[in-house]
Amino acid sequence: MATLEFRTALREAMTEEMERDDDIFLIGEEVAEYDGAYKVSKGMLDHFGSDRVIDSPISELGFAGLGIGAAMNGLRPIVEFMTFNFSFVAFDQVINNAPNMRYMSGGQFDVPIVFRGPNGAAGQLGATHSNSTEALYSNIPGLKVVSPSVPDDGKGLLKTAIRDDDPVVFLESELMYGMQREVSEESDYTIPIGSARVAREGDDVTIVAHSKSYHIAMDAAETLEEQGYEAEVIDPRTIKPLDIETIVESVVKTNRLVVIDESTPFTSVASEITHQVQDRAFDYLDAPILRVTAPDTPAPYAPNLMDEYMPGADETVDKCLRVLYAE
Amino acid sequence: MAIPIEMPKLSDTMEEGVLSAWLVDEGEEVSAGDVLAQVETDKATMDLEAFDEGVLLKQVIGEGDAVPIGELIAVIGEAGEDISDLVDDAGGDGAATAEPEADPDADAEDASAEPEVEPEPAPEPSGDGQLSERTPEPVPAGTDAEGRRIKASPLARRIAQEHDVELAQVDGSGPEGRIVRRDVETHVEKQEAAPEPTPEPEPTTEPEPAPQPEPSVPEAPSYAMPDEEAAYESEGITQMRETIARRLAESKYSAPHYYLTVDIDVERAIEVREDLNELAEEQGRAKISFNDFITKACALSLHDHPYVNAAYRPDEGEIHKHNRVHIGIAVAIDEGLITPVIRDADRKGLSELARETRALAERARDRDLEPEEFEGATFTTSNLGMFGIEEFTAIINPPNSAILAIGEIRDTPVVEDGEVVPGKRMKVTLSCDHRVVDGAKGAHFLDTVKSYLEEPMNLLL
Repeated sequence: MATLEFRTALREAMTEEMERDDDIFLIGEEVAEYDGAYKVSKGMLDHFGSDRVIDSPISELGFAGLGIGAAMNGLRPIVEFMTFNFSFVAFDQVINNAPNMRYMSGGQFDVPIVFRGPNGAAGQLGATHSNSTEALYSNIPGLKVVSPSVPDDGKGLLKTAIRDDDPVVFLESELMYGMQREVSEESDYTIPIGSARVAREGDDVTIVAHSKSYHIAMDAAETLEEQGYEAEVIDPRTIKPLDIETIVESVVKTNRLVVIDESTPFTSVASEITHQVQDRAFDYLDAPILRVTAPDTPAPYAPNLMDEYMPGADETVDKCLRVLYAE
Repeated sequence: MAIPIEMPKLSDTMEEGVLSAWLVDEGEEVSAGDVLAQVETDKATMDLEAFDEGVLLKQVIGEGDAVPIGELIAVIGEAGEDISDLVDDAGGDGAATAEPEADPDADAEDASAEPEVEPEPAPEPSGDGQLSERTPEPVPAGTDAEGRRIKASPLARRIAQEHDVELAQVDGSGPEGRIVRRDVETHVEKQEAAPEPTPEPEPTTEPEPAPQPEPSVPEAPSYAMPDEEAAYESEGITQMRETIARRLAESKYSAPHYYLTVDIDVERAIEVREDLNELAEEQGRAKISFNDFITKACALSLHDHPYVNAAYRPDEGEIHKHNRVHIGIAVAIDEGLITPVIRDADRKGLSELARETRALAERARDRDLEPEEFEGATFTTSNLGMFGIEEFTAIINPPNSAILAIGEIRDTPVVEDGEVVPGKRMKVTLSCDHRVVDGAKGAHFLDTVKSYLEEPMNLLL
C-alpha cells in the first residue's frame, strides 16, 4: 500500500490505462499545459504528448460532443469537466447522445467515454458552482454513475470506468483531491462497477453514504459508538448500477436505515435508496428510513449558512438515534 | 361502392375535431389528394384530404360541428349510389356508428342539444352514479378491538406474527404509540416468563383501560424548538389517558344517564364494623373497610335487580342480564384510573372481600394487574368519600348499566322522633343507563342497598 492523494490516485489510473491502450486520450479545459485545474493530470502532457492530452477551448458542449464522436469511431476518450457544474452546458451531449447512441443505432455504435471531474459543493462557491449532479445523471438510462469516497476506490473504479464500453459519469470532489489515504499497489488494480463497500460493521443501524458524505457517516458512527450503538456504514461507491443487495442485507440485520446524500432531497439518490429498501426489506424495518440531505434550496454563499446547508455528523447522529428510538 | 370518411386523428392529443369549412359541395367530384374540408383540432386547423376518387355524396355534419375521432363526417361514392345504410346509421343515433369508443361523447352531444326542446336541464345521467358504485370499499387494516388501526413497524408485525402475538395486546413505546421490535420482544419475554395460558375468559367486548408497563414516550417531535414563552407545558396523551377519554366519552354520549341520590343512616353499620374489626384484629385477618360493606351490599342487591346488573347491547339487539355479579372498584393511580374487579362478590364474605380488594388495589397502583383482573365488571362503584366529597355523580363504566358514587360519612343533625339529634349519614348516587334501568328500577335497587347498609347484620347472613 502506498499513501497517495486522491488526485494522484486518479492520475495513476489514467496514466496506467493510457499506457496500456493507445486509443485512450484526455481532453478538457486546462488539462494539458496547466496540469489540470486541480492538478489531477499533472505531468501527463509531458508523458503522453499533445495528441493524447488535449487542452480544449471553453466549450463544454463542443468537446463533449467531440468525445462522443471519437468514441463512436473507435477511440476511448476521457472528458474532464473542470467541475460538473459546467457539464450542464454540455447536457444534451451527456444525457441525450452518449447514453442513447447504442440503443438508437441498434447496437452499431459503442460509446466508451468517461466524463469526469469534481461534483458537489466545495465551500463558498455560490449556488451555481455547488450543484450535486448524481441524482440527475443516474436518472438517465444508459449512463453509469460512479462516485468514490477514498483514493483507493477512486483509482480502482476509474480504471474500470475507462475500460467500460459504455458512457460513465465519474464524480470526484474538489474537497477530497488533497485527501491522503492508502492505495493498493497491485498492478492493474481494478474495482468492479456496481459493488458497494461495507466500510464498518455494526448491528444497530445502517448508514449509507457516498463521496464526502461517507466521511460524515464514519464520524457519526464514532459518536454513536460512544453512546453504545454500533452503526454499519456502507459506501455504495457506484450510484448506478446501485448495489442494493449489500444495503438490503445490512438493513435486514440492523432493521434501521439512515441515508446521507449531500444533494437536495427531492428525487435524490437518497430517495431512490429509500424506495428500493422499503420495497425489498419492508418487513425488516423497525422504523421509517430517514435521510440527511441538503435542504431543498439553492446553495448559499455565506459560510455560516453553508455550514447549516451541508449534511453533518451531528444531524446524522440525531437521525440515527431517532430510528433507534433512543431519544 | 360508397366510402365513409371519418373524423381523422390529426394530432396526438386530439379527441375531437371541429369541421370549420367544407371546401367541396355535395355532388362535386373529388380525386385523391383533394382537400375536402378544413378541420380544427386542439392544436391547429388542418386540411382533410380525400384518399379516394368519387363524388362527395353527403356532408354528414355541418360547418361548425364538433365530432369525436372516428365519427362519420362524409360519404364518397358513385353518383346516385344508395348510401342510406351508412347515413341512417350515423344520423339516427350517434351511438350506432362504427366506433364504439365514441358513444359517451355522442351521448353527451345529444344531451347538450336537448335543452332547447326540454327547458328542464337533464340530470347528468349514469356517469356519476356508476362511478360511485364502482368505488371500492376501503380494505380495513389491522385494528384493535375498538376498530382503531394499530400502529406497528413492519418488523414488529412480522415478529408478532412469528410468535403468534396479537398486536392489540402489545403496548407501543414508539412515537404515537407505534409498536416497535422491542415492545413485541418484551411482550414475548413476559409471556414466556409467566407461561399462563393467554387469559381469554372474557370476550373482547369489555376492555378496560389497558395497563401500561411504563409511561409512554412523550409525543412531542424531538426536533421541535423549545418555546420559552409557551403558554402551556405539553404532555403526551398516554394510552391509559386515551382509553379513559374514549370510553367515558362514549359512555356519556351513548348511554342516557340519570341520577338517584339517597341518604343512608350508617350508624349501625359503623358499630358492626367496629365489632368485626376487633375480631379481625384478634384473628389476624384483614380489616374490613366501610367500602367493603358497600361492595357487599351492592353485590347482594344486584341479585334482586337483574337490570342493574346488565349490559345494553344494541349491536346484538339484546340486553344481557348477567348471571354472576362482578363488581368493579374504581382505583385512582398516578397515571389515571383503573377498576379492578371482585368476581362473584355476592358469594364472598366481608373478610374475603376486604383482603381481595386491598390486594387488587395495591397491584393496580403498581400497574401490575393482569387483564382478567380489570376486565368483566358487571357493576362498578366509585368512592370519593375519603376526599371529603359529600356526594357526586359518576359516569357509567361501559358496558355496565349503572355505577354507584359514594360520598363521605358525615356527622349531621337528624330528626328522630321529633327531636334533633346527632347522626351519621352517607349519600350515595346511582348513575343509571336509562336504556336498561328505568327510574323505578333504579330507585328499587337503591332502596335495597340502603336497607342492607342500615341493617348490616343482613350482610353477614
